[in-house]
Amino acid sequence: MRPAAIRPIALALSREIALTALLLLGVSFVVFLILYLSPGDPFSVLLEGQTVGDASRAGIREALGAPRAWYAQYLSWLGNMLKGNFGTSIRTGLPVFGEIVRVGLNTLTLTLGSLLITLCIAVPIALHAAVRGDTALSWPLTMLAYVVSALPVFWLGYLVIYVFIHRFGLFPLISGSSAAQEHAWLYFMVPIAVLGIGNGTVSEVIRYLRDEMSRVMAEDYIRTARAKGGSVWRHAFKEGLLIPVTEIIASKIPFILGGAVIVEQVFNWPGMGRMAWQAAQDRDFPVIMGIAMVAAAFVRLGSLLQSLVYAAVNPRGPQE
Amino acid sequence: MKHYSQVAGEISQYSDLPFWKKAGTTDLAYVAYGLFVVTLVLVSYALGALKLLPYDPQQISIGLLNAPPGSGGHLLGTDFLGRDILSRLIVGIQAYFLPGLLAIAISLSLGTALGVVAGYRGGSADPLISYFNDLVDSFPRLVLILLVIAAFKPDIYYVMAVVGVTGVPGVASLIAGKIRFLRQKNFIEAASVLGLPTHVIILKHILWYNCRTLLIIGATLGMGEAILIETSLSYLGFGVQEPTPSWGNMVQAGANYFLQGKFWPSTAPALAILFTILGFHLLGDGLNNILEGKRNK
Repeated sequence: MRPAAIRPIALALSREIALTALLLLGVSFVVFLILYLSPGDPFSVLLEGQTVGDASRAGIREALGAPRAWYAQYLSWLGNMLKGNFGTSIRTGLPVFGEIVRVGLNTLTLTLGSLLITLCIAVPIALHAAVRGDTALSWPLTMLAYVVSALPVFWLGYLVIYVFIHRFGLFPLISGSSAAQEHAWLYFMVPIAVLGIGNGTVSEVIRYLRDEMSRVMAEDYIRTARAKGGSVWRHAFKEGLLIPVTEIIASKIPFILGGAVIVEQVFNWPGMGRMAWQAAQDRDFPVIMGIAMVAAAFVRLGSLLQSLVYAAVNPRGPQE
Repeated sequence: MKHYSQVAGEISQYSDLPFWKKAGTTDLAYVAYGLFVVTLVLVSYALGALKLLPYDPQQISIGLLNAPPGSGGHLLGTDFLGRDILSRLIVGIQAYFLPGLLAIAISLSLGTALGVVAGYRGGSADPLISYFNDLVDSFPRLVLILLVIAAFKPDIYYVMAVVGVTGVPGVASLIAGKIRFLRQKNFIEAASVLGLPTHVIILKHILWYNCRTLLIIGATLGMGEAILIETSLSYLGFGVQEPTPSWGNMVQAGANYFLQGKFWPSTAPALAILFTILGFHLLGDGLNNILEGKRNK
């Protein structure tokens, strides 16, 4: 790479990073605002069923930092969060950050694994459609993609459990037994596959990849490559596959995380989604605030990585 | 490289044929199925509202638990309390229909207003809208909804209002993009040279003549999403609560029996969700291909 090319990339990237920081600031403000505006306060959950005097009520509020002005609350919450202190869970009393890290890895495995599954389904179909055009297979495949995208993922989970575990006994259900230990990776794979298939984005991903690839296949430089007898694939890969794949992944991460909430519920997967569900039940504000922040950070990180890939592939920088 | 038939297809778009003659069979089939689903939903909603049901959806019959379709006069069988599944499916539409319309109304009206401002006035509104777009996209929608639920314990209408608000930036950028494209055209310039007031240009020449299909498509896809969110929430136990039926809580209630091999009580609502959302998706995409000229190859 020539030095002259580095400057626009560095400029574009620093712009992206600044934007990411600005967006996360906005996210934190929205999260704070929603809970600040909520009626009552979460402390009443803590004190539910206890007879408390006003003094101890005020004491608890004081201890948790409630009776200050809203901006002071916001700034102290934000400052603590930047230091990695997400507060303690109202329900369990454990520090939220440690809890999120503990279960967050499970959710990360689930989401990244299912993204991979989605791509394994979508990329071959999209490439087939883009390169070969209309074939006998394209209509059934399109229809299948539509149906899969409309499947309620919670029902798909039960269907898979029933068919593969109960009906055909492909692997045992009893957890904790030695057989289950042996098949642990299967239990691991089933929720990932279910989310990968049923997250509702398959048909959109296929359509996007197919359209981008067909657009690139019609470009002059591909025709030139073909005429020269060069490798079409090598020329089409970057613009036709790499960039669209990173773009669609980055834009679908929020959907996959949303689907993870449901799949974790179906399969009892100990992840952030289940934790968010529990926190919403209990009005456990520090936990749900922390999860929302971590999830948003994950989404922004994905789109930052996408612009990194874009900048690396296309050193001219974005065309305004 | 374009096949000659594709080029011919492109030319035919500019001819004066009515759109249903220009459209491909696949797109017409999509739209036909979508319209069928919409009609079915509307009729069922009306039937449920007027209480014209085959059975009382709350009537428990202990003698007929988890009955398969067709048994004892129950067309779609009964659930774990012996309640008629067909009646519950029809009544379940109440759970998402009006809340879904609310979400669509909010995202389309606010989104259009913002989009007009950004597209027509341009300038400083533009980066602001793209910022809000990115901000909303940063939240997994279900996590945002769980946050709102934790804060307000709201009913489904408030939840759907939040869903509607999250749809605003998407609609806004769609409309703004379309307007930016239209502004280069001569007829807008001609209209303003002729001295037409700005609101006439915007409302009539831009929104009505050129954006209404976009809005219809947006509404269709928005309804599909609203159904998905309502059923997901009811499944998670945050939406409509038993004994009031919703497709989501019906799947949830039937799930325990699914693993005992009585798969029907949770499969019937799941299929209802599947075919309804499929209908809205196909309707939206079909209309998009036909009216906006983005042809499926």
